[in-house]
Amino acid sequence: MDQLTNPQLWAIIGPVVALQLLLMIIALVACVRAEETRGPRWMWVLIIIFGNLIGSILFFIFGRKGMS
Amino acid sequence: MTQWFVLYRKEWRELVRSYKLIWVPIVFILLGASQPVTTYFLPDILASAGNLPEGATFEFPVPRAVEVLAQTLSQFGTLGLLVVALSCMGTISGERVSGTASMILVKPVSYTAFVTSKWAAMLTLSTLSFAMGYGASWYYTMALFEAVGWQEVVGSLLLFALWLGFVGTVTIMFSSLLRSPAAAAFSALASAMLLSVTASLLPRAFAWSPGNLSKLASEQVLNGSVEGAWLPVIITLCCMAAALLASAGVLRKRPSLDAV
Repeated sequence: MDQLTNPQLWAIIGPVVALQLLLMIIALVACVRAEETRGPRWMWVLIIIFGNLIGSILFFIFGRKGMS
Repeated sequence: MTQWFVLYRKEWRELVRSYKLIWVPIVFILLGASQPVTTYFLPDILASAGNLPEGATFEFPVPRAVEVLAQTLSQFGTLGLLVVALSCMGTISGERVSGTASMILVKPVSYTAFVTSKWAAMLTLSTLSFAMGYGASWYYTMALFEAVGWQEVVGSLLLFALWLGFVGTVTIMFSSLLRSPAAAAFSALASAMLLSVTASLLPRAFAWSPGNLSKLASEQVLNGSVEGAWLPVIITLCCMAAALLASAGVLRKRPSLDAV
């Protein structure tokens, strides 16, 4: 594993990180555009940003009212 | 049949509107991709994060490529199952509580079409997401470990997709039986767990059980072939049909919940 150079490393984990960021951005957009959230909106923003994958999933499943 | 496609298109729009069509595939791809990547970097991660004494060396056996794929399947067997059950837990109960179901069902729409259109949308979503996630895992395994033949991958993909679809179908059935979406997801996951536990504890007596499917899928990827998969596959398909019929029957009796 030591022979991996930095660009090679990024070639491996880059797509994963990018996808995770994409999911987070979509969750934030959905959170801002939702008519009503379950609990305060700023709390969900914090959960999405700091909860990584789990935070976004939690928001999509439980975050919006009337859309489970 | 055209009516069914109209309903199916409505379900499809619903998937887009609730962002499910985006987030479920992304979650599956992330789950699938992260398994080979973390396995590959495990020695590095332990070396940098663990407080090992100076000079301690660990020799990690490099796992075989098919073992990595089998680990991915077991990852999908827990978290993937959870995502499938949670994403379709409110399919029917939600529409009944909000009144959409009774609004659609006063029109000359058959109950079976109503249920099966939802079921087909769920099946499309779960199979598509799982295939994408498994494909991502396959790609990373090939890039980081070694090549895996497509027979192993396609066979295990089909078996495991059937298991996911079965759990989704059970979730939809419970969703028409129970009022609360959380209770539906919980009952579906509990019965899935019960099935796989009994299948692994009593392999002889439960050789027919749908709970075998995930085990058969990982056997398929590990050995390249699997024996006795037909019986559980057929039983699972029958169970899915029965669950759909039960769901339509319950709906026919009580189309809306506030009328109770």
